[in-house]
Amino acid sequence: MISSTAIAHLKEKLGDANVLHEKEDLLTLGYDSTPGVHHLPEVVVYPTTTEEVIAAMEIAEREGLPLTPRGSGTGLSGGSVPVKGGMVLCLTRMNRILEIDEENLTATAEAGVITLDLFNAVAAKGLFYPPDPGSQKISTLGGNVAENAGGLRGLKYGVTRDYVMALKGVLADRSLIATGGKSVKDVAGYGFKDLLVGSEGTLGIVTEITVKLIPPPQDKRTILAYFNDVRTAGEAVSRIIAAKIIPSTMEIMDRAVINCVEDYVKIGLPRQMAALLLIEVDGHPAPVAEEAAGVQKILEQVKAAEIHVARDAEHAASLAAARRTALSALARMSPTTLLEDATVPRSRLAETFSEIERLTEKYRLKVGTFGHAGDGNLHPTVLCDERDHEEMERAHAFYNELYEQVLAWGGTVSGEHGIGLAKKEYLARQIGPGGVQVMKRIKQVFDPQGILNPGKIFDEGDPCTQVHVEEGFRVSH
Amino acid sequence: MSRTEPLGNFTAEDAPHYDDVVQCMRCGFCLPTCPTYALTGRERSSPRGRVALARAVAEKKLEFTPAIKEEAFFCLDCRACTTACPSGVRAGEVMEMCRSQAHAFYPLGKMGKAFREFILQKMVPSPKMMETSMLPTRLYQRLGIQWLVRHLKVLKLGPEWMNKAEGMLPELEKPLRPQLPDIVAARGEKRGRVGFFLGCVMTLMYPNVSRNTVRVLTHQGFDVVTPKDTKCCGAPHLSEGDRETARQLALFNLDLFLAQDVDYIVTDCAGCGAALKEYEELLAERAEHEKLSRFREKIRDISEFLVEVGLRTEGLQEVRARVTYHEPCHLCHAQGISAQPRQLIRQIPGVELREMQEASWCCGSAATWGLKFSQDSQKVLDRKLDNVKASGADILITANPGCHLQLAWGVRQAGMPQDVLHLMELLGRALPPD
Repeated sequence: MISSTAIAHLKEKLGDANVLHEKEDLLTLGYDSTPGVHHLPEVVVYPTTTEEVIAAMEIAEREGLPLTPRGSGTGLSGGSVPVKGGMVLCLTRMNRILEIDEENLTATAEAGVITLDLFNAVAAKGLFYPPDPGSQKISTLGGNVAENAGGLRGLKYGVTRDYVMALKGVLADRSLIATGGKSVKDVAGYGFKDLLVGSEGTLGIVTEITVKLIPPPQDKRTILAYFNDVRTAGEAVSRIIAAKIIPSTMEIMDRAVINCVEDYVKIGLPRQMAALLLIEVDGHPAPVAEEAAGVQKILEQVKAAEIHVARDAEHAASLAAARRTALSALARMSPTTLLEDATVPRSRLAETFSEIERLTEKYRLKVGTFGHAGDGNLHPTVLCDERDHEEMERAHAFYNELYEQVLAWGGTVSGEHGIGLAKKEYLARQIGPGGVQVMKRIKQVFDPQGILNPGKIFDEGDPCTQVHVEEGFRVSH
Repeated sequence: MSRTEPLGNFTAEDAPHYDDVVQCMRCGFCLPTCPTYALTGRERSSPRGRVALARAVAEKKLEFTPAIKEEAFFCLDCRACTTACPSGVRAGEVMEMCRSQAHAFYPLGKMGKAFREFILQKMVPSPKMMETSMLPTRLYQRLGIQWLVRHLKVLKLGPEWMNKAEGMLPELEKPLRPQLPDIVAARGEKRGRVGFFLGCVMTLMYPNVSRNTVRVLTHQGFDVVTPKDTKCCGAPHLSEGDRETARQLALFNLDLFLAQDVDYIVTDCAGCGAALKEYEELLAERAEHEKLSRFREKIRDISEFLVEVGLRTEGLQEVRARVTYHEPCHLCHAQGISAQPRQLIRQIPGVELREMQEASWCCGSAATWGLKFSQDSQKVLDRKLDNVKASGADILITANPGCHLQLAWGVRQAGMPQDVLHLMELLGRALPPD
């Protein structure tokens, strides 16, 4: 247990309101959006400056506490769950946008800035920050960097890593690191910045982020297509890409998802359809018109059941907003929603849908599938009840077999959610023992004591000597 | 949502359903909509955090600790999280249950209990007692604020609530209930017959609003039947965690209104409307399903009703005004009525609707919350008033007496020029003279 002296020191350095250690607070800061993982920290701190991050780390070291950085806790692989207890460093109160540099087209912000707040702030200056994870309304930029978050626009615009130009942060030994800069080109030495992006807080605590901005697209067209079977939708996606059209968004939802989303948003989605594709093309007006026509032509060729063009920007926005609710809306159907993040080369999309259908039947499960079809990133979601152990076993067998196939096709076990706690096994399968060994060695160099977010990405020998504070505790009043 | 078997560490009576707390998949979509999370930045003061606490109690990982009681009462019950939740979790209702649980776990002392019972079980349910106790400046004390202050020690109260409570009281006229005829006849071509659910706060503090509601209804061609025996809808009891008294009141009102020969039951109080629409759930085990669904089918908020039947605009006079609309939580979040009030405002000739930012963000009134947490309430109110200011409107429209009290007080304190009106008062101004 953390000592009361340490608590007092933390309060002295960070202020009373920025140190939480009551059991009710610990209980609500030991989860993210990943089902089934929940562990209690011993203390949670909210630094407001880099100096306070360092001060907190110093006290954590004295107490022998591992550190887990956290943003808003919207992660989907357990990255911010303090699986070894210790101290949670919650960065949500470091939430200043420090600069929007219109000459260099960059923005610099603290790690706790909400993704959508940054988007809006740069949009007000006529600029565009494309990464838009489903949870952008509440996710933090620091969290996006840690997990290398994707989003709906990933197909054309890429993911968080593609926009990170510079990072500042604190390493395990409490030295400061600054990597990258505003130079568009930078090939000086190893790419630390790229190593830190997606490292899930295991290599350092990122406190400040500089991102690249681009001019916003001048025009946009949104097309909605319905299909009588999912494979046809998958085929449409592959053919659009093969026709050398890169939409900014190409999202898919199957019938289960359509119905859950419609239950929530009530915007008249067709409940009887097997699948829908939400396609957005953007850019300069002339190519947008051309591409939209191209997309429509392909949709007709593959015999989409219905093709609609969004009436106006508002209608288009409501469709995209509806898609963003897909995962949470699916939670209406069952107590537990197990979500995966399988990603395949795009040419394999139709086959992947067939495989999901086959496995759904084989394991007698209820599965809703949605995702970023355009980049081959699917979220097959098993709707189950964690209290039913037999069903949970079937769900795991389902994912096991699916991932085997996904990897055989040259896909990946995580397109955008990260590995965290939930996918360590799958990662080991994907990159092999050699790959895991290299990752461990990199970790060793950055964090020889293993204090930064232990237990994530791969299983360690057990560098952690700390007491494992688990869920399942009892407290009385 | 009520149950009678014990769930985890909850007591048997009125515990949340396990399914309702497990439903939360912790996506966090509720966080940016929660006024208390915006105030504290503390996860346990967010809907996701509160549901997680309730779940921990249900799973016997946590006792029902004082902190849970604190969070149950710190929740505004504004239901903004219900609107935001794609998974259909109703954190506000779970917290209402926890308020009820709080009374079981932390019973009041003898005096406190007697006082609470007097207020909630004797006084509020009796329209007559409410009216005869109407020495205006003492109303709030009699409604139990003093008791709340003295007995809910967990709420860190300053002395400022008393000034605020007194300062909030509008200039009081005679209560409307005894003045209003049992039936007021439709004017023009008759379109139907509605029962009017006249709420306690409306008759006592805003008689002029409800007088206008009746004028509007008759002008629209409806006979208006106002049963004199109507009792409190039960909302204050649900809010304070006295579900049993709420059920008794609900049962009474249910029978009273079903006995009337009316096509609809209409209210101009968003808080009452939300409570009346929840009778079906509240009384699920206490009244016949058929009766409950018949009652539920008839309940309408006034703006919902007028849009549904179609506002007759012929003869409406011009009202030259720039107005902005504040959405009461119990209208937009609890009842999902958001477009209708705006549509009515736009139908009044001469009125310009200027949308404010965050129109559906709570004003910080929230029943007695604004008095219990007066400093927090001021912060929530300031945010609202800034948005009102930026709208450039001359009139601030709302549709619920709690918001009305808070906003009128806030505007006055801030020295702002806006008039605060109920939507029915605005519509009343457009009616031809009687």
